[in-house]
Amino acid sequence: MRPPERPLPRPLLRELRRIVGAPFVAESAAFSELYAYDGSLSRGAPAAVVFPADARQTAAVVRTAVRAEVPFVPRGFGTNLSGGTVLSEGGLVVCLSRLNRILAVSIPNRCAVVQPGVTNQELQQALAPRGFFYAPDPASQKVATLGGNVGENSGGPRCVKYGVTVHHVLGLEIVTAEGELRRLGGVAPDPPGPDLRGLLIGSEGTLAVVTEITVRILPRPEAVRTWLAVYDSVEAAAQTVAEIIAAGIVPAALEMMDAPVMRAVEESRPCGFPRDAAAVLLIEIEGSAIGLDRQAGRIREICRRRGVREIREARNEEERARLWEGRRGAFGAVARLAPNYLVNDCTVPRTRLPEALRRVEEIARAHDILCGNVFHAGDGNLHPLLLFDSRRPDQLERVHRAGEAILQACVELGGTISGEHGIGLEKRQAMRLVFTEEELALQRDLKGAFDPAGCLNPGKLFPPPQEAAGLKRPADALSSAEEALVRRVRQAFAAGERLRIRGADSLGIRGAEEPDERPVLATEALTAVVELDPENQFFTAGAGLSLSRAQEALAACNQWLPLRPPPLPGRRTLGGIAATAAAGPERTAYGSPRELLLGLGFVDGRGRLLRAGGRVVKNVAGYDLTRLLVGSAGSLALITRLTFRTATRPERCAALVIDGDLAALSRLAGRVLAAPLEAVIAAAAHAPEAGFRLWLGFEGLAETVARGIEEAARWAREEALVRFAASDYDLLAGPFPRLYEEIAARPGLLRIGVPPEQASAAARSVLDGFPTAPLWVDFAGGRIAAGLETLEPGVWRKLRGEISARGGHLLLEKAPASFLPPDGRAFPEMAEDPLFMRLRAAFDPRGIFAAHPPQTACDP
Amino acid sequence: MNLKADYDEIARCNRCGFCQAACPVFRATGSEAGVARGRIALLRALIEERIAWDAGLEGPLFDCLLCGACTAACFPAVPTAELLIRARSAYLTRVGRKAAHRLLFDRLLPDPRRLQRAARAAAIGKRTGLSRLAAALGLLRAFGRNLARAEEILPALPRRAFREEVAPGVYAGAGRTGTVAYFVGCGVDLLHPGVGRASFALLRERRRRVLVLENNCCGLPAWSAGDLAAARRLAAANLTLLNDPSVEEIVTDCSSCASFLRSASRLFPPTDPRHGQARGVAAKILDLAPWMHAEGSTPAEDLRGRRITFHDPCHAARGLGVRREPRELLGRIPGAEFVELPEADACCGGAGSYALSHYDLAMRVLERKMENLKRTGADLLVTTCPACMIQLAHGVRRAGLAVEVRHLVQLTRPGSSG
Repeated sequence: MRPPERPLPRPLLRELRRIVGAPFVAESAAFSELYAYDGSLSRGAPAAVVFPADARQTAAVVRTAVRAEVPFVPRGFGTNLSGGTVLSEGGLVVCLSRLNRILAVSIPNRCAVVQPGVTNQELQQALAPRGFFYAPDPASQKVATLGGNVGENSGGPRCVKYGVTVHHVLGLEIVTAEGELRRLGGVAPDPPGPDLRGLLIGSEGTLAVVTEITVRILPRPEAVRTWLAVYDSVEAAAQTVAEIIAAGIVPAALEMMDAPVMRAVEESRPCGFPRDAAAVLLIEIEGSAIGLDRQAGRIREICRRRGVREIREARNEEERARLWEGRRGAFGAVARLAPNYLVNDCTVPRTRLPEALRRVEEIARAHDILCGNVFHAGDGNLHPLLLFDSRRPDQLERVHRAGEAILQACVELGGTISGEHGIGLEKRQAMRLVFTEEELALQRDLKGAFDPAGCLNPGKLFPPPQEAAGLKRPADALSSAEEALVRRVRQAFAAGERLRIRGADSLGIRGAEEPDERPVLATEALTAVVELDPENQFFTAGAGLSLSRAQEALAACNQWLPLRPPPLPGRRTLGGIAATAAAGPERTAYGSPRELLLGLGFVDGRGRLLRAGGRVVKNVAGYDLTRLLVGSAGSLALITRLTFRTATRPERCAALVIDGDLAALSRLAGRVLAAPLEAVIAAAAHAPEAGFRLWLGFEGLAETVARGIEEAARWAREEALVRFAASDYDLLAGPFPRLYEEIAARPGLLRIGVPPEQASAAARSVLDGFPTAPLWVDFAGGRIAAGLETLEPGVWRKLRGEISARGGHLLLEKAPASFLPPDGRAFPEMAEDPLFMRLRAAFDPRGIFAAHPPQTACDP
Repeated sequence: MNLKADYDEIARCNRCGFCQAACPVFRATGSEAGVARGRIALLRALIEERIAWDAGLEGPLFDCLLCGACTAACFPAVPTAELLIRARSAYLTRVGRKAAHRLLFDRLLPDPRRLQRAARAAAIGKRTGLSRLAAALGLLRAFGRNLARAEEILPALPRRAFREEVAPGVYAGAGRTGTVAYFVGCGVDLLHPGVGRASFALLRERRRRVLVLENNCCGLPAWSAGDLAAARRLAAANLTLLNDPSVEEIVTDCSSCASFLRSASRLFPPTDPRHGQARGVAAKILDLAPWMHAEGSTPAEDLRGRRITFHDPCHAARGLGVRREPRELLGRIPGAEFVELPEADACCGGAGSYALSHYDLAMRVLERKMENLKRTGADLLVTTCPACMIQLAHGVRRAGLAVEVRHLVQLTRPGSSG
């Protein structure tokens, strides 16, 4: 046999064998062949494959490889569809398939802790008997590992309702390029500071190796209904999709398959798809049974209006499972039509689906390629499968050209180049369609901050810089306010001057009255509503726009931003909300700003106006700078504009309001949260002299809300809580506006995050230190917001000790200078963290936005 | 043989990886070398001449259980087990055939009497601690490097083979009509004569005449090892015996033998007259479980209060499509409760002689089976393949479970255990 390319130095192999044991280092021509491929068309042979047993061994392997300057790629079961898990230039495969244990499932905290080699399906199987599920469900979930899901920020059919991986991962344990283990995030939600967890998710193994994942789990819905809608035209099916979403219905899945794919599936295994139709939609809704009837009627009506030939409802679980089996097996099944496929995973706004499918068909025809479509229509996430035989080089060439043309078409329609499969090797050139050279340069610098030696999965994501490509994204038009800010930052950059970012709400975590000599960089002029698209449910506006103004604009088209951050939601600006990652007690149901933001415009420390993300939910092109900047509190860049996902305004908001002692209320809240009642809020408010009062809030269809209130009342009685009443509340003000006013009246705003099961104990700690503080405690998320009158260093130290002993963190979102505790600093661990400092240098090399060292009245 | 002839089948693997979820070996190892996608990738690399035939291929080619679960999970249904058999055959030609294989496939398996003598010697060896003698006779040596531990799999070999108790020949039965031929597999004959006795008794109860065949090995072990010539010789010898127009049905209590005999025509080219004969014979081959189901057999033994579960042999579930019949029979047992075994049709790791040649891997596969067994809470585990019985009984002993392992037919007659 011929020796593998670039054999590894013998001492390195000896060291690797010492770390993991000789049987777990494979080095042979056969193994180089076996790990040269993944699910994509790319190839790249490793010189050896290492199978560490645990996180500690993984860290030692990484340390050893980086020290020897040998490139490596971490991988699970190798089903990647963009060439992300094959090596680009030789080196090692670090295969994490032995890290395959589910470490914990906690119902009180509604989370599970897994190792990266556990498959998505294995987790689902472990959760099902306990009445829970994990929302992201890639079609390949049988064999897609959760480590791979994190690496790619995977989606799946259910993501149209629940969002993608980044919305469901609470924490990670990673191995850094230095070979050190480190934790990012955890069960306690929304830790202060830039969201490194969010940055890591979807980074395709180029920044770190993930060795443990903490995910959020959800109670299985009470009922599910599934239809197969059969169409004689692809166009009519695509129009149905756009109309269902525009009607404000949130299906649990909305999938489309066209004729060639259905033929391949049915030839493989009869799953019940028609062989003579042009397209089908697989539509699923789930939730509390009572709310499904009306939605079902509306869906049928829309289908009929669009000329559906037939709508078939799955009569039982077996029929439903068969339809899904066919859908999930579709990629494999197309081998019946041709041995290979190139799958082009691109996303467009849903209303552009009919046009996108037309363009795909034209492109396939022009390149003489057979094309099949099976995709997440509800997300606008296309998967055109270009079918060919890789043994025919001429076909391969045409397929690649057709693929590029399709990506270009989708970007022209307002979409992006990858919804969930990643960039890997195969879409590197297409990155220029969505990012400018400056944006790519910043992302390369971030890669360098994490991986100075360039050993972690090198050669991925980025187009080679020297290549002058024809592909280019047109520059954005700047408003005059944006131009002024850019000029000011450039000036400061040239002069080495430091600036202080301030939002119009003056609520930055530094506190309004903090003495700070630095000139202010204010966003108050950035109040433009740039784009509002109710049909595709997104909204772009300037950072200085107040939330109440934004809600006004959205209300005109029956949309809203599901955010009610304290202290007074309406007065806060969009930029301020993003910078502090602030959210109210509905955070777990609707998501925090981290979940709701689709994209950002920002000015970095060099005065470059850059863009992150886009306008579609499913977008995994490049590093997730949107997530990273949310919560960074002006320490990395100036956020200028924000694109949020919007939601249809619920028909009714009502709460069951229950008085009682904290322990009983917490018990009731725990029961409600573990059940499929769809409570949006489960929070107890505490006002001095009034004691605790639990609010179980329901928002949505009138009948679902009524049912929720009824059930909650029944359970309250079972818990011997008899003092309760139901009351409707205003959508934008939320259930307890008077408490918000009380909190706002205090000069300080304290925010705490703890594991949800610790919420009531944490609330007790707060009241020990601040007996008169108005506060709410959110049992769903494990979060507390409290208005503070004063802050004594001793009280602060004690509270901080208690909260961190409970695995939580705390932050002052608002504080006057008088609050400054002697040891108070914003992100103290970060100032001493070389990784964070390198990260900051990538954004802001001259420290223009930095308070040196970053110090404010808050502390984790 | 020429792998290129299989190029189209091989190219149909588009590396979706769904076989990984189905493959018992991959689930135990997590290595691409132990799953259909990887094995097929190597075959493709051999055809495209990126790698050469050498001993490094032995693991990937021979570690497969041939259980067929990958093909069942594969939408384009790439027949990995079939492809691997042909690749194993090519490997034996190009890289080499082991002496032990020659002894087993060329000398012992084609001759039931010689095989019985060897087994008796092995039995004495085991009973008296003279296992070296058995090893010297070569029967167990055929099974390779893990022999020392693998011997634990076989607790005690019976002193007498089934056909030493019941000589091949024609026996009168209590039934009113019909002649049934009883094909005696090596596993039943040498290792589980009690199963043979139960089957024989049942057949005699239901038919006028029972013909106990002097058949030799069906050929499956040789075929699995890639020794196609030996498999063909064994099948041809059996064919002359089975191709008897006076026999209406040929029954065997080994699902693996039944499945292999059903498909024996593939060993002969369509131009060979034996191809047609083998197809004719195949139509008469019946696995005992569906035969019992058609006959409406009911258990004679009192099994009240027992909790029973069923393990599908690969060759029954995927080879013959037999799944329903044994479950229905077990479900009818008065006073006993039938519980479904999770992943009942996943290979137990016995895979004929696989457990003997790949002890460690087979035990890891078996562990999952035992975990699933524990979840049922059953105290009686039933199956229809003697190789599975050996493996499952070994698993039960290793895991310290109070579970009895029996062949389905052993529930029908009292006093038929052993």
